[in-house]
Amino acid sequence: MIKQVAPAVEVTALRRVFAGGKGLRKRGPEHVALDGVDLVVDAGEVHGLLGPNGAGKTTLCKILSTVLLPSGGMAKVLGHDVVTHTAQVRTSMGIVFGGERGLYGRLTARQNLKFWGALHGLHGKQLRTRVDALLDRVGLRDRADDRVEAFSRGMKQRVHLARGMVGDPALLLLDEPTTGMDPVAAKDFRALVGELRAERRTVLITTHDMVEAEQVCDRVSLIDSGRILATESPNALSEWITRFERVDALVPPELVSRLRTLPGVGSVSTSDDGRTRFETTEEGVAAQLVRSLVEAGVTTVTTSKPSLEEVYLHVFGGNGMAVRR
Amino acid sequence: MHFIRVFQAGTLNAFADFAATYTVRTWTFAWLGRIIAQVVFFTLIGTLLGSPEQQRFLLVGAAVMAIVGEVLFACASSTWERRAGTLPLLVASPGSLLAVFAGRSIQWVPSSLATSSVCLLCVGPLFGVTWSVPSALLLVVVLFVTAATTYCFALVPGAAVLNAMDLRNIVANVIGALITAFCGAVVPVSFWPSWIGWAVNALPVTHGLRAVRELASGGFDVLPHLGYAVLTAAIWLVVAGWLLRRLAERGRRDGTIEFGD
Repeated sequence: MIKQVAPAVEVTALRRVFAGGKGLRKRGPEHVALDGVDLVVDAGEVHGLLGPNGAGKTTLCKILSTVLLPSGGMAKVLGHDVVTHTAQVRTSMGIVFGGERGLYGRLTARQNLKFWGALHGLHGKQLRTRVDALLDRVGLRDRADDRVEAFSRGMKQRVHLARGMVGDPALLLLDEPTTGMDPVAAKDFRALVGELRAERRTVLITTHDMVEAEQVCDRVSLIDSGRILATESPNALSEWITRFERVDALVPPELVSRLRTLPGVGSVSTSDDGRTRFETTEEGVAAQLVRSLVEAGVTTVTTSKPSLEEVYLHVFGGNGMAVRR
Repeated sequence: MHFIRVFQAGTLNAFADFAATYTVRTWTFAWLGRIIAQVVFFTLIGTLLGSPEQQRFLLVGAAVMAIVGEVLFACASSTWERRAGTLPLLVASPGSLLAVFAGRSIQWVPSSLATSSVCLLCVGPLFGVTWSVPSALLLVVVLFVTAATTYCFALVPGAAVLNAMDLRNIVANVIGALITAFCGAVVPVSFWPSWIGWAVNALPVTHGLRAVRELASGGFDVLPHLGYAVLTAAIWLVVAGWLLRRLAERGRRDGTIEFGD
């Protein structure tokens, strides 16, 4: 069990500006990747950074992992400044990428972990014990001496996670860890993240996968255009737009016309199968709608709350798949 | 101690890459065969000139240059870290970058030691370069020191091209050609202007080559040459460490070290 002092991550007014253009003459317009980010991640928390491509998630992770300097503001990891106390930050943090890169394909899983363990100052019996325990934990004991290049995507991601944990870090940065994984492998991976929470490790996970954020995070920060838009629990974010609750029912046309005029009813649409969807715009209106429908003899009624995905689409609405510049 | 352990860990990668590149058969018949052909080619120029002395001079020079050519592969193998996407993880780790990179390309040292030893000890006698048992044993030691110290030098361009990966082969070839031309491999250093003579003294291979020539001429006074080789290598190693730190610092400033890079 990891003991930490709170907060594990503390970011204040963090800015990162990249020079524009390429090559020696960087005279293009500057690109603001982070624009005054404030963020606190408590010890033992699994915190999600949710945002579209180009929102600033990876830039923030790079700064926290000491690979990038901020242009302004302050960032601390476990109380250590990421600019001036890099050695302390590096010993207390593990980084896990998503994807194929970041592993030595020609080494076995065991050799990969031994290599990174050595960098964290482990050696001898301690290193062997740690590596064996991690291989067990991520379910790769039987494949420990196979080359990583022969592994499936899901297995590689397990090696990534084990590599990130080899230094027994108090904080783990997971940068899009399930990118490209099949659903089963992604589910297994999330279960492993759940185990980290049980150990009171702090996890900062970047993702644009709403399901992932909902399933593994204690709190989620929505980030876009280099700014944190909100930090809430996944449930709290969903409650934001409770007023946008939906009611679906098989409703006679004359009743649809009457209910459409109720205050707080937004859009009303009827699908080809005759099912009508009422979108509410005020809290409590859904219950009123259901009562009206039941009183009118309509028995097939369903209500649904928005998923985090709908929150996401609502907050970032209209961006589609566009990547920020 | 941590540095040594990280260095040892880095050698895991080096030999894994080497094993993936060569089998015993391909190393022997492809790589070694190619180097022997190269050495014989240079030696035959001496034969063409009708001078046994120049024949021996060229054979020794070409055999030692085989070390240079091979350890300069460190330029390419250093960049493999970037290709593997491990560079940001290395920068963000508590280990020494120099220790990692020093271990990363170490495979070229034993390989080049073997190729140059075969060239000098097996091919050499065919062209009049003969060895007594003591000089043959000492030759292997001298070649090892030459390979190891030249490798320390090769880490410098290896570190330099990490930010210019496309140039890795050009840099290695240009440096190899300059060393072959100026360090006394094909013409004596005294052939060139004196300032070039001074400049090449900064390279470990110049001293290693002098030590090999000393042995080939029947002498045993190799220690001063090896001492200079080790001294210059230590300086180059410091430069390589500085360059790697600068790479990391520059990457932190300008964002050129990408996650997944």
